[in-house]
Order: sequence, then C-alpha cells, then structure tokens
Amino acid sequence: MNRKGEYTDKYHPITRRESIKKLFCLSGSFALTGALTGFSRMPSPAWADSQKKAFMVEGLGQTEGYAVKELTQKVFESAGGMKRFVSKGDVVVIKPNISWARPVQMAATTHPEVLRAVVELCQDAGAKKVRIADNTIHDARRCFSLSGARMVAEKTGAELIFPRSSLMRKMKIHGHRLDVWPVFVPLIEADTLINLPVAKHHSLSTLTLGMKNWIGGVDGRRSALHQDIHQSTVDLAQFFKPTVTLIDAIRIMTRNGPSGGSLSDVAEKNTLILSDDPVAADARASQLFGKKPGNLGFIRLAKKWGLGTDDFLRLDQKKVSV
Amino acid sequence: MKAKHLVWARRISQTFFLFLFLFLLIESRLPEDTFVDYSQVFSAEQDLTLQQPVTFFFELSPLVGISSWVSGHQIINGFLWGLGVLGLTVLLGRVFCGFICPFGALHHLVSWIKPSLKGDRMIKANRKTQSQRIKYFVLIALLVGALLGLNMVGLLDPISFFFRSLALSVLPGVGIGLRALFDALANSDIKVFNYLSYGEVMASPIFGYSDPAYQGAWFIGILFLMILFLNRIRPRFWCRTLCPLGALLGLCARVSLLRLKKDPDKCTNCHLCVKSCQGAASPIPGEKWETAECLVCFNCFHACPENAISFSFGWPPGLNPRPDVGRRAVLGGLVAGISFPFLGRLDGQLSRVSDPKLIRPPGSLPEDDFLTLCQRCGLCMKACPTNVINPTFTEAGMTGFWTPHLIMTMGYCEHTCTLCGSVCPTGAIENISVKEKIGRPIKIGSSYVDRGRCLPWSGNAPCIVCEEHCPTSPKAIYLKEERVTAPDGKTLSVQLPFVDLRRCTGCGICENKCPVSGLPAIRVIAAGESRSLRNQILL
Repeated sequence: MNRKGEYTDKYHPITRRESIKKLFCLSGSFALTGALTGFSRMPSPAWADSQKKAFMVEGLGQTEGYAVKELTQKVFESAGGMKRFVSKGDVVVIKPNISWARPVQMAATTHPEVLRAVVELCQDAGAKKVRIADNTIHDARRCFSLSGARMVAEKTGAELIFPRSSLMRKMKIHGHRLDVWPVFVPLIEADTLINLPVAKHHSLSTLTLGMKNWIGGVDGRRSALHQDIHQSTVDLAQFFKPTVTLIDAIRIMTRNGPSGGSLSDVAEKNTLILSDDPVAADARASQLFGKKPGNLGFIRLAKKWGLGTDDFLRLDQKKVSV
Repeated sequence: MKAKHLVWARRISQTFFLFLFLFLLIESRLPEDTFVDYSQVFSAEQDLTLQQPVTFFFELSPLVGISSWVSGHQIINGFLWGLGVLGLTVLLGRVFCGFICPFGALHHLVSWIKPSLKGDRMIKANRKTQSQRIKYFVLIALLVGALLGLNMVGLLDPISFFFRSLALSVLPGVGIGLRALFDALANSDIKVFNYLSYGEVMASPIFGYSDPAYQGAWFIGILFLMILFLNRIRPRFWCRTLCPLGALLGLCARVSLLRLKKDPDKCTNCHLCVKSCQGAASPIPGEKWETAECLVCFNCFHACPENAISFSFGWPPGLNPRPDVGRRAVLGGLVAGISFPFLGRLDGQLSRVSDPKLIRPPGSLPEDDFLTLCQRCGLCMKACPTNVINPTFTEAGMTGFWTPHLIMTMGYCEHTCTLCGSVCPTGAIENISVKEKIGRPIKIGSSYVDRGRCLPWSGNAPCIVCEEHCPTSPKAIYLKEERVTAPDGKTLSVQLPFVDLRRCTGCGICENKCPVSGLPAIRVIAAGESRSLRNQILL
C-alpha cells in the first residue's frame, strides 16, 4: 500500500508477494477466530451461531386505550432493558423522523409518546445527555413544534438539536454510491445512537423505514439522492450504524407518503419493532404494509452488502403486548 | 420641571422605545422554543403564531392607520394607538418624534455622537431652510395617492422604512458575517475554536436561523446607510426634510398646547439654542418659533444659559404659528399624488397582464386591494420561516415596488404555515387559519413541469423529488410509470411527474427541492391564484 492509503491502491495490480501475505493474514485470522470461539463457547455447533445473535422484539398494543409509553417500556424490557444499550454517562442521540411539519395524527412523524418513553428510558439508564436530532425537510422549528418533539424536550429535559450549517461536516461515507457528503455531526458524536423512525409509504423507495431515516442525518443536495435511492439509503445506513432501531408503527402512513396530510392516509397498527439488525427491522415493518421484504430494493441491497438479514425469523425473536 | 430632567426623560424614553423596537423586530420570527401541546392537537386546532405584539410600532404610526383607512377603507387593528399619538401631538406637539420614534432616536444618536459640524457650521446647519418643505410635499403626494388607491406610504413611513432596512438588510448582513465566522471556527482544527463556534446558538436567534437573504437587499441597505449619513451634514436630516409622519404630526402641532416661550430681553444671542436644536425650528428669541418643525427635544431649553427659553402649557387653546408648508409643496404634492396611481397603471400590470413571477403570500387580497393596504414594511418577509417571501423589484411594476412576493428558489410556502398573514399590520395579507388555507384551499399559483429539464422526462435519471415533497393530500403531483430512452440508448424505467392543476396550491416546495439546480425543472407561476378572477388557467 502506498502512503496515500486505500484510495489509490485499488488501481494497482496486486503483486504475488502481496497476495501471499494476504493469504497468510486471512488464514491466520480464521485460525485465531476458530480457536477463540472454540475455547470460549463450548460446544460450538456451527460457525454462524458462534457470532452474537441479533434480536428482535415486537410490541403490540392490543387493549383498548393502551398506553404507548407502557408498550415502549415493555419492548425495551423484553430486549434486556435499556441498560443493554446505554451505559452510565453515555451521550445518547435519538434520531426520530420528524421531517415534515404535520400534526401528530397524520403519521408523517415519529409518535411523540414513543419518543418521550425512549428519552426517559435512556435517562433512567444513566445517560449523561439525551439528544434528539434530525435534519428536517420543512423548517425545523415548525417540524419540532408540530410533531411534539419540542414538547418532549421541554418535559424530559432532553436536548433538541436544530440543524444548522456549522453542525454539518463533510465526511467520507465510504459508500458504493456516496463518497464525501456533509453529515449532521451530533449523530456521529454519540456513544449510543438510537434510530427511531416512523413507518411510512414512500413514492420512490416504496417505504421509508429505519434505514431510509438516515437521509435525515445528512445535509447537502439531498434531493439528488433519489436518483439512486436504494443504494444511497444503504450507504447511509452502513455509515451511521445505530446501536438499535425502534420502528414506530403505532400508526402508519399507507399512501401519499412520505408527507401525507390526510387522516385517510393513516392506518392504526399499534406496533413497535425493536432490533439491533437494521435490515431485519425494516423487513418486519414492511410486512405491516403487506409488502414482501425481498421486493424492496434497499432491503435487497442491504442484505447484499452485509448490513443484516431480511430473514428476521432466524433472529432471537420475542413478542410482547399490552 | 427643570430642563435637565426633561432632557434626561427624553433620552430614557428614546432609548426605551429604540430597544423595544429592536426587541420586537428580533422577535418577528418563529422562535426555536415554540411548541404546541401534542396531546391536544386532536381536540383543538392550534396554529403557530408569534408570542410578541410585533405590529405594535406600525399601530403606533398614525400614517399607517390613516393611509389604510383612506386607501383600503380598513380600520386596522390597533388604529386607536395611532389616534392616541395624534391626540398626544395635539397636546404636546411632535413629541412622538422627540420621545418615541425609534427611527428618530437613531438619527438623533447618529447626529449626536461626535458631531461632524462644529461651532458656527453647526448653527448654520440648524437654521431652518426651504428644503424642510419637502416633507409636506411627500406627505401630500403619499396621502393623495393613497386616496386614489395606490398606497405607497410604507416606502417612506419611518417605522416601515426602519423595519424594512433592519429586517431585510442590516440583520441578515451582520448575520452572514457572523455565520461565516462561526463556520470557520467550527471547521478549525483547534479545539477551543470549535467550542467558540457554539456562539452561533446565541447569534442565530437574533440574526436569523439559516442565513436569511432577500432580493435587492443591498439596495435597501445602501439607502439606509445614505439616510444615516445625511445626519452628518444636517442633524436629523430625515426627520426635518423627508419624514411624512413628521409632516403629518407637524400639521397637527398647530393646535399644540405645549408652547415655547421666548424672552428676548434675556437673550444674549449666543445661539447655543440653535446649535443644539434637532428640528431646525428657530428656537432663538427674535425669530418666529416653528411649531411644526419642533421635535420637542427640550435641547434649547436645556442649552440656554440665560433662561430666555422655556416651555409652558398655553391656556386657552389657540393656534400656533402656521406651518411653513409652501404653495409649491401643496401643488406639487397634489400633482404627484394624482399622477402616481395612474402612471402606475400604464404598465398594464393591474388590468392586462400580471407577471408570472408575482406570487403573493397566501391570503393576500386581490392585487387592487393589496396595493391599497400593503405597507412594504417587510414584516411578512422577516417572519417567514423559509425565507421565501422577498421584496419585489420589477415583478409588481412601479406601483408594487418592494411589496412581498414569493421566490421559490429561496424557499417555499409551507403547507401548514400562516405566519405571514398573522403578522401583517394592515391586513393586506389576511389572517387565515391553517384549516382555511388547506381547506378552501388558498392557492398562490400553479406549478408546471419543464419536460426538457426534468430528469425522468429527459431520460437522464429516475427522480420523484417533486412528488415526494408535494404537501397536498392526495398529491397534486402524480407519477406514471414509463420506459424512456436514456441518453446512452438504453431503456430506463422511470416515474414521470404530472401536475394536477386542480389540486396544486402553488406552494413551490417542488420547485425549491427540485435537484435540477439553477432553473428547476418544475416551476411555479402566479396563474391560478385564488385571489384573482382573471389570472386563472382552468375554467
């Protein structure tokens, strides 16, 4: 490798000496992994199972007039509690989807009760700071106000981060499509990053779920991302790598997405999906819309690039309900 | 009361009102900490409005109230405040100019700090001149014009002038400078500088979030600086020579009870009174005191070492000396006032064609009525959260110079926002609710696709950005799946955007977000606006 690093070396043909070196590295690491897993986890039935298994918790509000807050708490409890994701003294950043200045009932934005419950759980888990950050599409003041995020921040003491130019920094995305792109810095400066999207219809990518929520994590010419929406979505999802994804499907927008604007676009699903596998979470949520995960471009691509699995049934699954 | 106390009372009052003006100016925007109670959105409709009475100073200016009344036959909210100021003038003379007017206070300040004129030159500059009649000309021209349906008062009303200059050019200008500084600090490699960049959090609530910018703001700024500079040649040049509100109050001061008493016997002709006179009102004993020019600043009273000058209430009421208006100012004002409204129609903007770019804010009155009420104060432009409302330059013709219109490449009209109407001091933009805006719906124009530029239409790339952002439900922009030939000859599967003119409200978010930068591939024109019967496309 030359001094300039990885950007140029792919243009050089690999030499024989290098290929032997790489072979040694690879085989060595394989041997080492095998040895370690062998010692630590006995017996080890299969190679795949030796990795830590991803989980998924599904919460369903069944009773009439259930509390969204309680459902959220139960979902996290069943996943091992918020302490599993948030350590004492962490700076937690929550990325809801509050891109549109719409009233709460229009399902264009993350349900404020879910947001509030998550903020409170993080605070209880000992987070030093809980921040809510989103680079909105409509004016941020109006989005935060109408979606209830501002009120959540007022009531819980969470910090609401407004998008502004000094918080956008050009970074290397290392994506297949996106190279250098301005990123909303607070999301990068988090110890724990919680993705808290709302499940919605979208006219180009069919649905906007967890992975597509990261379009609200960047700045710049975002509208140009739509020219290759699936790959852009996956590139960003790979870049941000949230600790955990909680998809809010309490009510979902089934058409006219992503902005909606009419109650007739909204369907009640009373569901929350929590997973540390972003692809699995999206795959499960897509079923709420009656879609096959395999038919969604961004899920297929995400699987291909190894971000997770769309076969969520193989995950460590749990279901709770209130 | 002693002269010293009066002068200090004036200074305190001027400072107070100047700061109140600045405070309300800064508050004329949506604050970051505004919120609605989401648990109540199901039961009660809540629109976001500003917390502070940002129109207060416009209500205080009787010229705004009177011109709206004679021109648009509207009694504006807070009209009584303006009447109160007139009443005060009847009692005390142009005390509004001396004690209250924030623009006057600024002129006073600029003239007073290290005066550029010393001694005799200052005395000479403070002598009354014929040029002070210009303001009567301006007043008559504006009011006659307003009576005939062209309300241009706001161009020179001191409150509108001051507000517009600060809101559209001074604050954004300083803000741009500060933001450049903070961005540089934020991108610095030195950690301390990074922390300093958070100063932006304090600066942006004052200078505007996200870099506000306005069409032609440089011109507004230059004019403002020039008017300020003139104070160095003649103190309070604007108040003496140009201000139509000063002229109006000067005329009312004819019956003022507070009068200047001169004692020629005590006078030693030291001219200290003239040297400190703000209004060039001939305070020196031996000359006729010009009531209409006196700004009631009490400087002469304070300056006189011989106690030859004093203020006292004259009872019974009587007429003060005639204001020096001059026949030419009256005749000229009449001619100008009558001709402007008709000259303004010569370009046919009102009767024949209207500029497709003249997209008025949602809730604007029909163009005729709009021009009778709009003060061109810039309050709607300052309050707009997306910066879409900009002053016109040529779009509305001569008559509509600096009136608000929407430039969709600067911002877009947010579907659930009615802030511009809620702050308009005269009701040129109606105060509509969000429910009305969406329900009627209030259209401000229509969008159309430029197929040659559009990415899917031209086969260059798939894109649905306009449709994605379209805020109506169902969407006014709809898509049709189609296979097109890409420039390289391959077939490309795309979704082609179409506009449903019946649903389109002309909000312009499609134009604003279109990835075809420069001249977007989907654009909004004013045709189809609900305020006009003529400017329509569909039957």
